[in-house]
Amino acid sequence: MDIDIKGIVVICGNYGSGKTETAVNLAAARKKDGIDVKIADLDLVNPYFRTREARVYLEDMGIEVVLPDKKYMHADLPILAPAVAGIIQQPSELTILDAGGDDAGVTVLAALEDHLSKKEVHMLQVINPFRPFTENVQGCIKIKEEIESSSKIKITGLVSNANLIDETIPEHIYKGYNLLKDISCETGLKIEFITAVSHLIPQLEMDRFTCPILEINRKLNPPWKRV
Amino acid sequence: MSKVLMKGNEAIGEAAIRAGCKNYFAYPITPQSEVAEYLAKRMPEVDGVFLQGESEVAVGYMIFGAAAAGERVMTTSSSPGVSLMSEAISYISAAQCPAVFVNIMRGGPGLGGILPSQGDYFQATKGGGHGDYHLLVLAPDGVQEAVEMTMKAFTLAEKYRGPVMILGDGLIGQMMEPVEFPDDLKTEPSNKDDWATSGMDTRKSNKRNLVRSLFLDPKELNANNLALKAKYEQMKKEEVLYEGYNTDTDYKVLIVSYGTMSRVCKTSIDMMKQEGIEVGLLRPKSLFPFPEEAIFKAATKESCKSVISIEMSMGQMVEDVERCIKGQKKVDFYGECGGEIPSPEKIIDVIKGLL
Repeated sequence: MDIDIKGIVVICGNYGSGKTETAVNLAAARKKDGIDVKIADLDLVNPYFRTREARVYLEDMGIEVVLPDKKYMHADLPILAPAVAGIIQQPSELTILDAGGDDAGVTVLAALEDHLSKKEVHMLQVINPFRPFTENVQGCIKIKEEIESSSKIKITGLVSNANLIDETIPEHIYKGYNLLKDISCETGLKIEFITAVSHLIPQLEMDRFTCPILEINRKLNPPWKRV
Repeated sequence: MSKVLMKGNEAIGEAAIRAGCKNYFAYPITPQSEVAEYLAKRMPEVDGVFLQGESEVAVGYMIFGAAAAGERVMTTSSSPGVSLMSEAISYISAAQCPAVFVNIMRGGPGLGGILPSQGDYFQATKGGGHGDYHLLVLAPDGVQEAVEMTMKAFTLAEKYRGPVMILGDGLIGQMMEPVEFPDDLKTEPSNKDDWATSGMDTRKSNKRNLVRSLFLDPKELNANNLALKAKYEQMKKEEVLYEGYNTDTDYKVLIVSYGTMSRVCKTSIDMMKQEGIEVGLLRPKSLFPFPEEAIFKAATKESCKSVISIEMSMGQMVEDVERCIKGQKKVDFYGECGGEIPSPEKIIDVIKGLL
C-alpha cells in the first residue's frame, strides 16, 4: 500500500511528536514518487531540530523549501516568511506545511486562514504514544481539540510516529498503530499512514496494518550521530 | 516503569516532580522554556505550584523564600537569566538553604545566541555571585543522566544545606532521548526543624530559627564562612563523579570533556580506534567538586603524551585541568563557542595534530 496524499498537507501534533521528521521524510518519499513537492517550516516555537536543518538534503532533491530569511536562522523569533502565503495560493502537487507543536505551534495557521480557507487542506495529527500527554486516546483527543481551536482548522487524518529513537522495536510500532485504531473508532478520523525507521521495516508483520507505512531516514540527529 | 521519549527540559521537570519538589518558580528563556511549559501542566496535578516571576532577579528571591521555609524548590534558566539570579544564589549560599538551580547554557557573553554553549563553566564553578561560596555542580551528558542528576540534586542540596546546580548545554535541554524514571524520592527533607523558618506550629521544638546572610560581627562572619568551607571540603571527599572512556587502553592522548561535547568526543574516539589510534576520555560528571585525582592519574599514565580539554567555550575548564595535572603533562585546548557543536571529524583533526 502506497502513500498517495496530495494537495496541501499540514503536519501538526503535540510537542515533540516527530512532526518535522515526518514532514521531511514525507516530502522526500513523495518527490521520489515523481510528484512536485514544496515544504514550508512554520515551526515558530521550537528553537532547535527544525526543518531548516534538513534544508540542504531537501533542496538537493529538488524540493522547494520555504524558510525564514537565513540571517534569522538561529533566532527565537516568530517569523512567518511571506512566501508561505505564496505557496498556499500557488501550491504544487504536494505542499507540506510543517507546523510547530501543541496549540501554540499552530496559532500561526489562524493567521493564514484567509489563504487556507479557499483550499482543501489535509490536517494530519502526528502521534507518538511514547511522548508525555499522548499515551492514551483521551490525551490525543485533548491535544486534537486544542490544536483545532487554536488553528481554526479541523484535523482530517492521523499519523502514528511511534518511536523511542534508537531503541524502537516492532512492538512499539504496533502499539502506536493500535492507539490510532482506538482514536479512529472514537473520532471517525482516517489513519493516513504510520512511520517506521527504515531498518525496522523488514521486521514488521505487515498484515497487522491496513494503512501505508512511511519509511523514516532520520535527518535531525545530534552531532555525535551525524557520521 | 517503561521508557518514554522526552526532551531534556521536560525530563528535568518530571524529575523534579518525582523528587517531591512542589515549588517551581521561573522566567522563560530559550533554550530552557519547555521546563516551565511542562511544569505548568504537571505541577497542578501534584498540588504543586509553578509561578512565573516578573524577572530572574525576582525568581532568585522566590527560591530563597521557599528554601528558607524548608520546602523543596527548583528554578531553571539559561545563561543571561542565571546571571540575574546570581545575587540570590550568593545569599542562599550564605544563609545555607537547600535549592536546585538548572542552567541550560546558551551562547554568551551578553545576549549571545540561543544555541548550545558551555560558556558558563566559570560562573557555575567559581562564583557568579559575590563572596566565598561554591555551588555543587553536576553536568549531565544526556537526558537520562539529566533525570538522575536532577533527582540527586535535591538530596545533595539537603545533605549540604545549600544550592546545587545542574549545568547542561542547550542541547541537553532540547534533544529527545528515551528515558526511564527511577522510583520517586521518598525521603522528606531531614533536620529542617533545626533551621527552617517553617512556622512554630510545624516544629517539635520551641527554638526560634533565623535564616540570614548578614553577619556584622566579624567572628560570626568568619565562622559562617568556615562552616561553608567545611562543607566544600566534605563535597571534595564524598561527591566527586566522573566517567572514563577507553581509559583501559594505552592511549597517547587524554581528552577531558563534559556534557554533550563529551559525546562527540566518544564518537571521535570510536572512529580513531578503527584506525588503530587509542585516545582516552575522562568526563567530569561533577564540575565542583572537580575530579582532580582521577584526571591527574589518567594524565600521568605512562602511555599518555598529552592532554587536551575540549569544550564549547573559549577555554574555561582547561584551567582546572591544568591545575590538577600540576605541570606533569602538556595541556592543550580546543573549543568552539559560536553555538555550532564541533563535529567528530573536527575533533579527530585536532587530536591527530597532537600525535
